[in-house]
Amino acid sequence: MTEEPVEKTDCPCLPGALIPFDQWKAPETSVRRSLKDAFRHALAQIRAGVAPEAGAFESLDSLPELSRSKLQTLAPQPDYPKLAGALLRSLEDARSDGNAYQNVTFLVAAPFSGIRSALGFFPELEPAKIGVHGPWSVIVPPENLLVDDQGAREWWGRQDLSTPWVIPELADFWLRHLSGLALIRELLRRVAAGGLGPGVIGCSSWCWQFWSAYFQDVHFAPLTPEPLDAAGIGAWFEFHASQAGQRTVIVRMTDDGHYVLPMAEQGEGKKRKHSRYLRDLASAARGNPGVALAIWQRSLRARPEEEAQSEDPGQGVAESTKVTRFWVVPFDQLGLPIVPQTQGDNIGLVLHALLLHDGLNASSLALVTGIPEGELSFILARLARSELIEQQAAGEGWMVTALGYPSIRRHLDSWGFPVDML
Amino acid sequence: MSDLGIKEAFSAITSVALLEALVVVLIGTALTIVIQKLLPKIAGKLGGKPRFYVLASVPLLRLVIIVVTIIVVVPILVDPSFENMIAIFGALALALGFAFKDYANSLIAGVVTLYEMPYRPGDWIEVDGQYGEVRSIGTRAAEIVTPDDTVVVIPHSKLWNSLIANGNDGTDNLMCVAEFNLEPHHDVSRVMSLLRDVAFTCPQTRTFRPVLVVVSNNPWGMCYRLKAYPVELKDQFHFISELTARGASALSVEGIRFVSAPVAGIR
Repeated sequence: MTEEPVEKTDCPCLPGALIPFDQWKAPETSVRRSLKDAFRHALAQIRAGVAPEAGAFESLDSLPELSRSKLQTLAPQPDYPKLAGALLRSLEDARSDGNAYQNVTFLVAAPFSGIRSALGFFPELEPAKIGVHGPWSVIVPPENLLVDDQGAREWWGRQDLSTPWVIPELADFWLRHLSGLALIRELLRRVAAGGLGPGVIGCSSWCWQFWSAYFQDVHFAPLTPEPLDAAGIGAWFEFHASQAGQRTVIVRMTDDGHYVLPMAEQGEGKKRKHSRYLRDLASAARGNPGVALAIWQRSLRARPEEEAQSEDPGQGVAESTKVTRFWVVPFDQLGLPIVPQTQGDNIGLVLHALLLHDGLNASSLALVTGIPEGELSFILARLARSELIEQQAAGEGWMVTALGYPSIRRHLDSWGFPVDML
Repeated sequence: MSDLGIKEAFSAITSVALLEALVVVLIGTALTIVIQKLLPKIAGKLGGKPRFYVLASVPLLRLVIIVVTIIVVVPILVDPSFENMIAIFGALALALGFAFKDYANSLIAGVVTLYEMPYRPGDWIEVDGQYGEVRSIGTRAAEIVTPDDTVVVIPHSKLWNSLIANGNDGTDNLMCVAEFNLEPHHDVSRVMSLLRDVAFTCPQTRTFRPVLVVVSNNPWGMCYRLKAYPVELKDQFHFISELTARGASALSVEGIRFVSAPVAGIR
């Protein structure tokens, strides 16, 4: 396997490129931000049981938030079909460069990176984008994941893995239970043995952490999206906010009026004071586009604080009516969701299980954590109140929220749970 | 010099100096008490490594306070000339050497403990058959709390002549072992694989640490030892219970039986 990163794509719907998993590095962060985060986290732990626990998250500023429709225009979700096409091109480049493992490529990504949704669109790709392989088929997990080795062999035997196939999320194929490992174990055995048709397996970085520990001697050379740095995040946000360059977008901080977007300097030697917001955002989100987008959406405001507005008078005179102007709340005033600090480790067990399986329903959660369903419902309600988890639909599975993810990851890491590498 | 110069050394002591020294000692004592009470409480709320750092800082801070208090108090009471110092420390050494030999032994061992760190607050240690978590390290002795919530006071002087086993050695990694004594005549590799899965599927297991299954052949049957690391050190006994219960359940499904008590008793 070569260690060169795959060529960077210029598609704005896929910021960053695919790189070998072991080359992933978190975006650089400032010492100031690291110390601030560590201090805040320690303080939150110490305050547990002393200060009354906050319920739902509450923003620490009183500035008006943007409407849902405005948010959809300025900071929309990624275009997953386009992302799927871009991913496929990157994967084919990886294969031609020798960065992919045999015919089957593992695509490991942190939750909310959008890979799962994009891989779901593989069968809908236009034939021209598919290359020589033919149409892709999505492998859907069975209803019952608790099967023995024989059952797993039979189930995989019924799947057509000779023509192009894709698994959007490997975490859907297992439960952390003695009878819930057989399906993935059998699949990985088949992949390691070779002889399968072209396949792409998307896998949450948490699920990958478990299985790479379980199969220590197997090396599948997975690929992963390159983490977004401040410049990448800025370019991505600017592309969407400016409606693909049709409008000029100006984003400034609500507190000091420093510029966030556009990132480019003004012409005629004018110098703008740029904020460190994007750098802090890249670091807080660990280069994860989904998390960065969620924080970005939560940060946007319709108007600034008075002093920030009055600063820099005459700035808008030369700007045309096609300028979209909005504002961003600093991190310190945002008040992102934090994990309730308790002496018991059941909250940690639940959050860890949700990340390992990329979402679970209550009965499966009870099965893998060993927490009785009655007690579990209290924990789930508490976590949902804190905006750390949400239900996909009424009666359906629970998932960690993108906004709560940074806090959850830090909590699990500090309490000694196995955490992902991304 | 019949009194070793002690009388001269203390001749300058006045009631004001005594009062000053007393205030300094009281401040030092109060600071020590606050640190000894507050920091373990804070540590109890922190997880992972920060907890150990905070706990380990308690005896160090106390030592610093003691040293600083001595440095401040001595010049208040006596003129810190070379002769006076020789006289005071000589007398002190004499007194300790005869009257408080064992106490001094423990004090010195306590200082060595802070330097060599054979155990720190938060460590799980075993000394002379007593296993427990180090709750505090005092000047003379360490206190451990056993799993049955009994406090055992261990003089630091044990450091010189006892074997001290430290389960986690200042880290948050502590290997736990669940033992299974099974009747022979079964598929050994199948049981090893099954027990490995038991550890991997236990939600309290640190999967990034090694999970090992070792087996030995004994006169009464096969002895399997499942070794894994729990997420939280304080949950080690719960973790071992979980491994044992889950393992027993899985083995029962496979039709593999434990050896009966009378046979295991001859071990």
